[in-house]
Amino acid sequence: MQNTFIAKNPSVLWFLLGLSLFTVIVSICSEAAGTALISTSFLKTLGKTLCLCLVAVAMDVVWGYCGILSLGHFAFFGIGGYAMGMWLMYDRTKDIVVASLENNILPATMDEITDAIGAQIFGVVGSFDFPLIWAFSHSLTLQLLAVILVPGLLALVFGWLAFRSRVAGVYLSILTQAMTLALSLYFFQNDTGLRGNNGLSGLQNIPGLETVSQATLSLWFFWASAVALAAGYLLFAWMTSGKFGSVVRAIRDNEARVRFLGYHVESYKLCIFTTTAMVAGVAGALYYPQAGIINPAEIAPMASIYLAVWVAIGGRGRLYGAVIGAAVVSLMSSWFTGGSAPDINLGIYVVQWTDWWLMLLGLTFVAVTLFFPKGIGGLFDLIPRKGDRR
Amino acid sequence: MKLRSTLLSTLSASVLCVAGSAAFAECANPIKVGVLHSLSGSMAISETTLKDAMLMLIEQQNAKGGLLGCELEAVVVDPASDWPLFAEKARELLTVNEVDVIFGNWTSVSRKSVLPVIEELNGLLFYPVQYEGEESSKNVFYTGAAPNQQAIPATDYFLEELGVEKFALLGTDYVYPRTTNNILESYLQDKGIAADDIFVNYTPFGQSDWATIVADVVALGEDGKQVGVISTINGDANIGFYKELAATGISADDIPVVAFSVGEEELSGLDTSNLVGHLAAWNYFQSAESDANTDFIAAWKAFAGEERVTNDPMEAHYIGFNMWVNAATEAGTTDVDAVRTAMYGQEFPNLTGGTAVMLPNHHLAKPVLIGEIQADGQFDIISQTTEVPGDAWTDFLTASAVLKSDWKDLGCGMYNVETETCVQLTSNY
Amino acid sequence: MRSALFALMLMICSASAATAQNLQPILQSHATEVTNPSRGSVGEALDAITGSGLPQATAFLEQWSEKNIWQRDDGVFFIGVAEDETLALTDVDTRATSTAPKTDFKQLKPNGGVRRLIGTALVQFQLIDPDLTRRETAVASIARRPEAAQLAPLLASIDAETDPALRARKIQLANFLSARFADDPTSRIAAINSLAIDTSVESRAVLNQILTVKSDVTRAQPEGNIAVIHDPMDAPYAYYTTLVDASLAPAKQTAADIKRALEANIVDGRIAGFPLTQMSDPDTRKTAYAALAADGLVPVLITDELRNAALNDHVFYDLYDEPNADITAAAQAALGSVTSRVAAAQVADLTLDALSLASIFFLAAIGLAITFGVMGVINMAHGEFIMMGAYTGYVVQLFVPNYTASLIIALPLAFAVTFGAGVVMERLVIRRLYHRPLETLLATFGISIALQQIAKNIFGTQARPLTSPDWLAGAWVFNDVIQISYIRIAIFVLALMFLGLIIYILKRTRLGLEVRAVTQNPGMASSMGIDPDRINMMTFGLGSGIAGIAGVAIGLYAKVTSEMGSDYIVQSFMTVVVGGVGNVWGTLAGATMIGFGQKGIEWLNPSNTLAAQTYMILFVILFIQFRPKGIVALKGRAAGD
Repeated sequence: MQNTFIAKNPSVLWFLLGLSLFTVIVSICSEAAGTALISTSFLKTLGKTLCLCLVAVAMDVVWGYCGILSLGHFAFFGIGGYAMGMWLMYDRTKDIVVASLENNILPATMDEITDAIGAQIFGVVGSFDFPLIWAFSHSLTLQLLAVILVPGLLALVFGWLAFRSRVAGVYLSILTQAMTLALSLYFFQNDTGLRGNNGLSGLQNIPGLETVSQATLSLWFFWASAVALAAGYLLFAWMTSGKFGSVVRAIRDNEARVRFLGYHVESYKLCIFTTTAMVAGVAGALYYPQAGIINPAEIAPMASIYLAVWVAIGGRGRLYGAVIGAAVVSLMSSWFTGGSAPDINLGIYVVQWTDWWLMLLGLTFVAVTLFFPKGIGGLFDLIPRKGDRR
Repeated sequence: MKLRSTLLSTLSASVLCVAGSAAFAECANPIKVGVLHSLSGSMAISETTLKDAMLMLIEQQNAKGGLLGCELEAVVVDPASDWPLFAEKARELLTVNEVDVIFGNWTSVSRKSVLPVIEELNGLLFYPVQYEGEESSKNVFYTGAAPNQQAIPATDYFLEELGVEKFALLGTDYVYPRTTNNILESYLQDKGIAADDIFVNYTPFGQSDWATIVADVVALGEDGKQVGVISTINGDANIGFYKELAATGISADDIPVVAFSVGEEELSGLDTSNLVGHLAAWNYFQSAESDANTDFIAAWKAFAGEERVTNDPMEAHYIGFNMWVNAATEAGTTDVDAVRTAMYGQEFPNLTGGTAVMLPNHHLAKPVLIGEIQADGQFDIISQTTEVPGDAWTDFLTASAVLKSDWKDLGCGMYNVETETCVQLTSNY
Repeated sequence: MRSALFALMLMICSASAATAQNLQPILQSHATEVTNPSRGSVGEALDAITGSGLPQATAFLEQWSEKNIWQRDDGVFFIGVAEDETLALTDVDTRATSTAPKTDFKQLKPNGGVRRLIGTALVQFQLIDPDLTRRETAVASIARRPEAAQLAPLLASIDAETDPALRARKIQLANFLSARFADDPTSRIAAINSLAIDTSVESRAVLNQILTVKSDVTRAQPEGNIAVIHDPMDAPYAYYTTLVDASLAPAKQTAADIKRALEANIVDGRIAGFPLTQMSDPDTRKTAYAALAADGLVPVLITDELRNAALNDHVFYDLYDEPNADITAAAQAALGSVTSRVAAAQVADLTLDALSLASIFFLAAIGLAITFGVMGVINMAHGEFIMMGAYTGYVVQLFVPNYTASLIIALPLAFAVTFGAGVVMERLVIRRLYHRPLETLLATFGISIALQQIAKNIFGTQARPLTSPDWLAGAWVFNDVIQISYIRIAIFVLALMFLGLIIYILKRTRLGLEVRAVTQNPGMASSMGIDPDRINMMTFGLGSGIAGIAGVAIGLYAKVTSEMGSDYIVQSFMTVVVGGVGNVWGTLAGATMIGFGQKGIEWLNPSNTLAAQTYMILFVILFIQFRPKGIVALKGRAAGD
């Protein structure tokens, strides 16, 4: 099975090979390996980029393969990050609190410990009680489950409602965007209990691993992100090949016809929508400990639209296209907006990339949509292939 | 707008060399000063000014012969109003560029993002903006106002001078207004204001529909008590709010409004002729009358342009930078631990007259100014207190009343005076 | 030295202050209070100034209040007006004028509280002043700080009042003052009864001031004009705190108190026989505390039973500050009647606010109702067209300083600019994507990013002022509760006009007919001789142009920034979708539903506007799930699919 699957999808093998090679090279160059050719902050950037590639792959499956332009997958990504962040914050604070209460004459009660943790976490936002939403934050297992289940459940309920009422096309896109807006507003409220605009911070400090340096930790996270990307890529490559994949693509091309052929279109769509949401959650859970902080601005509707932009520029309907799009555009974005790109002096006017990059990106995007619907990935079609009869 | 924080580290910093006039022979490498302010994105409008202010201060210092015989060099990076990017850039500044000190940040969330990195790598950050307190980091000097240096004196002014008996606390829904309003609620109740006489409302960033809220505020006057509004409304939302106030015809004599986040900058977005007499509280106004301020404004206009204005966080950087220079000179090195020790008790004249003192809790003692909005969009200073020492942990919330920050003698930023133990050595981020 | 001499001289003067002909000595004798006035301390100085009976006192007080008093280095006060670096000075007594450099003088800046006291002090002079403005100022001062002493002069001034509006106002104020301060209970009750139909904030303030109460607790039966007797079991915790504060009961121990007491009673590493290690269990702590209490080592634990017993032993009551029960009863009755009127007025006001919000949503969405609703084109850059309109208004104001004229120019110009932009966009981008709606969404989003960034590069990220002309600046006031600003009314009217215009164009004009034909069946339409390309271009331009006009209106009422478009885009799309695509009435229904819904949720939870927005969006999402075609669903062939 695996053999035929790989044989049918040679790009998967090439992708995995490339990813492994990249991982090995980066590992050798990292500070933890002693060579320090790549600084820890750049290693973190690379690790984060891998996570973005993973969520882009998920986006590609839901949009490029199934035809659902979801403007909400970055919200699922953020929920995964929040779920992870809650445990990281709780446990780190608990260690601090327990240590500080040890000097007390009376051993602390459970309530006292919880109160002290609450005061530590929420004191900065002017509250002291633990909201209900943190009920499982003491347990790593439960929060890890939440990383997958909360986005999955949300996608399931939302998808079920939407697909059931045959909301499709642009209406669905607008609806997913509304969902993202509602979610980001919800996370933004202090009353939600997730520290409002401040979000969860200090996530790079992993409880129990205080002695491990950030250089090493970053490398571990980089590896974890690479493994997750590989696994996600395999999963989706497998899902989109074979009969299931054919039906999914058929839904994209003509939903009514598939329905008349007797397929239960809603189930297929729901399955894709939910699975990709769960993978997005995992990507987020790996991303934010490397970023160090998560807050509602991360899940604003804009972020999800950028996700669609990456996939479109990289090339829809091919998984490696999404990876290329996410990596290239996000790396270029930060390079140009970071102020380190050289200004272009036109004589009468100095083009500063910080100011003009976004405009360039916007127009590039229009051009890609109009003239190169296959994106960067389309370039691979130009490579003549053995036995290529298409 | 969220752009992923991914940047080639080696190319990350646009290194700006500010050449001084003196020859810096004694020293092979210049002393690097990191400037971590957003130059793009939503906060660029506020933070770019601070970047320019830092460049000016460094240029002035180099003209005076630099520091410890070395030239100062500004390392400017752009965290692009992206909070995770602040942490990444701070790490780069400390590990790749190896700066000796960082001046930066505006929003609380960006500071919280940077804190773990600065503490891990033992950096030194000067934070110039008024903030909500409830934090004390060994590696940060807070040169902006703590709540007791802005909110509490302004509330006292309301209580004592304007005789306000009923309060509307209006704020944007984020951490600074939330914490400040919590502190104020508790403070007002201590002052004998009933809980029913405090109306609290939170609105989103950029709120524009203010009719109902303003009507609610007007209705507060129905029991014959003097109503006052304490506004922690942030940024653009102020425009809609003041426009609605003006449209409803509420004069400062009927319902005075004091704002903590409105400066000359925000007022330039609207016509202030209907808002004359409403108030703002800061530690500095451009209209402050002192020789130091006149010189500073003149230097600033010469450096940045005739139309530019000065503001409170700029003064904070001015004081912070000069204190750092003096502390490093005293310590004879820019080593973080040595400079920190030398910082305690540093004195420097502030721009409004009087002297700012660096306290062991890493906050400044500064005067509090209350200004009335003028028709020309400037502020008329009508009240100026003596220097108020900044308090990291407010006395008006039960959980933090027992906490004390003293990095000099106790060596702890979160010391519980009741149990006499240090809660933690890192800060709470 | 000179100032010391001066002070000496002043002391001599002030001894005979009553006969003094000059104000300056009086001011000098209160120099500290005058230069550095505070609400608490300035009263004496004001009394002295007004008590002098000098005619120049009024002018001085007025100028002081206007921040026009300057003090020379030697302490002498002048009336002064600053012009650059010089001062045009007027002597406070002789009115002699002179000029002097500003540097020798210090401006006196009385704060708002002091200015209000000055206003009150001026009342007696201004109330009968021939100048109408001064009389109005005096009346406003009384309204701000009503005092018993003002009643007589106010009553006396009514007969001589020539201005009818001010006269009515004086009568109203006199009535308020009588209700509170008249000597005779009958006239007070009469005044109070007349307030029963007055919904103004001031009238309610008068009634509430009469009805102020003091809460107290006693063991015996309370005496006096009792307002209410409380049942302590309604809020036992709070009432027990009152009891503790009145030192009528011992404080209830908190967990921290218990912990402290336990810590103080450690004997050989044990507390009441329990080893310390067991103290992490709260129950053990309680048992140990009980054991200690039994030994008399710590105070007895106040249990809920003990607390309730103590509460039931006491009477908790509110006592009116007003001793006369008839007056409080009358005030209570009047307030009850006012309250129900106010409640009705509040509902009306909320409806107005909701209507206004709905019209803003409608205005923002109406262009979209054409491009998206009728043509089916997703234009994510619609918000940026709104922004372009607003910036057009701003730019016009830069060149045309007259706000009315600039508005008249800006409205058509904004339409022209965005119409042009819309046509260009349609020709270059949208035309190529008519059969790929998802791609249209993304491409127009790209344009939206680019437009926003261009606006940022040109105008900066800072908000720009767009000021409405004076006749749009105020508010229409029905009473103190029901009022709405003119700009909102203007937006409402504009929205109605657009609704009419669009319905007219679509239903009654050749263009409308062709638009509908092209939308329903482009192939058939073109075979009938209609040029679908031209029609699409015109329609898109029309929708965009209307967005531009909406932008000017929205900019007038809120703010003009490069990101203002993104504030409205999601809301606008939801408005159109919820209302039902393909129908302008649907957009109206959608805007109405969202506007009223949001105000309704805000009313339920007034302290959190953000929550209202969140729940409104959630509601809309759910609504669309159950009614995917929106409120006004098209039926039959027009529905397309």
